[in-house]
Amino acid sequence: MPATSRGDTLLNDTAEARSRALNQFLASVELKAYKIAQAGLRHQDDALDAVQDAMLQLARAYSNRPEEEWKPLFYRILENRIRDMQRRRTVRGRVMAWLPFRRDEDEEDVDPIAQAPSPDLPPVARLELDEAMTALDGALEQLPDRQRQAFLLRNLEGLDVAQTAKAMGCSEGSVKTHYFRALQALRQKLGEFEQ
Amino acid sequence: MNAGEGDPGRTTQLPSGLEVRSRLILEEGLSRIDAPTRSRLNQARQAAVAAAARPSLLARWLGPMGRQALMPAGAAAVAVLVAVFVLSGGHQLTASVADNPASALDVLDLVTDDDAMNLMEDNDSSFYEWAAAQGDGSTQSGGQAAGGATT
Repeated sequence: MPATSRGDTLLNDTAEARSRALNQFLASVELKAYKIAQAGLRHQDDALDAVQDAMLQLARAYSNRPEEEWKPLFYRILENRIRDMQRRRTVRGRVMAWLPFRRDEDEEDVDPIAQAPSPDLPPVARLELDEAMTALDGALEQLPDRQRQAFLLRNLEGLDVAQTAKAMGCSEGSVKTHYFRALQALRQKLGEFEQ
Repeated sequence: MNAGEGDPGRTTQLPSGLEVRSRLILEEGLSRIDAPTRSRLNQARQAAVAAAARPSLLARWLGPMGRQALMPAGAAAVAVLVAVFVLSGGHQLTASVADNPASALDVLDLVTDDDAMNLMEDNDSSFYEWAAAQGDGSTQSGGQAAGGATT
């Protein structure tokens, strides 16, 4: 086999392996990323757009970086995207407030099937779980953005302090502050969670 | 005080009941994400993977031979830029930042961060005790706290 053809084969194998790794990585984070985006944006389509943009940007700009860097990079991109969309929404809200005939686009229909509880739980446990989910979602919504980010990145995604700091673009000390504050606030609202 | 990260008297950093329970609830929330949303996420992932596999517009335009031909020219251009920067005394501009970049970043982070300023103003000593107790084990506690969530 000629040297160039062997080299091409090697390159193709490497590219395929990287594509597979990228696919696996994105599959492992997509649901959590969506949940985090939804907690920040409170809008299903916006959350999906934010995750999609973050995936594309990671793939285009950083897919050649070492795989261990992907997770903090991905969440950094996602957090920036969420912040951009929040700012844009604020500006849009101010403009829309001046219009006489406006429709609140942030109100979306709730899909009853999507909201359906897990079928394999007994009714009482299901009810308790539903109530706990509603309470937690409500408490998370009331947290300041940075506290919510720190809490979700550490508690849902499982990033450590250093990775969370990279993802949030701040120091590790700030991450500890935000996380501690988030825990304090959630504990005040959801004291019964401790039982 | 509840057991957990907020308790400065703790010697081992185990996740608190709040952390464990909220993680379970969040994971249950993930399992309830509906099929259309999962499908859209899957499509977004496939599009991203395809985009990563596609070479950039410039790379496609140049082709492999063009890229090889441009490499020495690019290296020469970078060398010229570095030489110009060094000769023009550019290092003096960065000297003050280079003295203590970490503290400069910390101060900037603190000033731009409302919560951190609030924390300072509140004189919340329990946080500092808790942070000191964490020390180098902070990453471990986070890992333990959330280790079960990683898939």
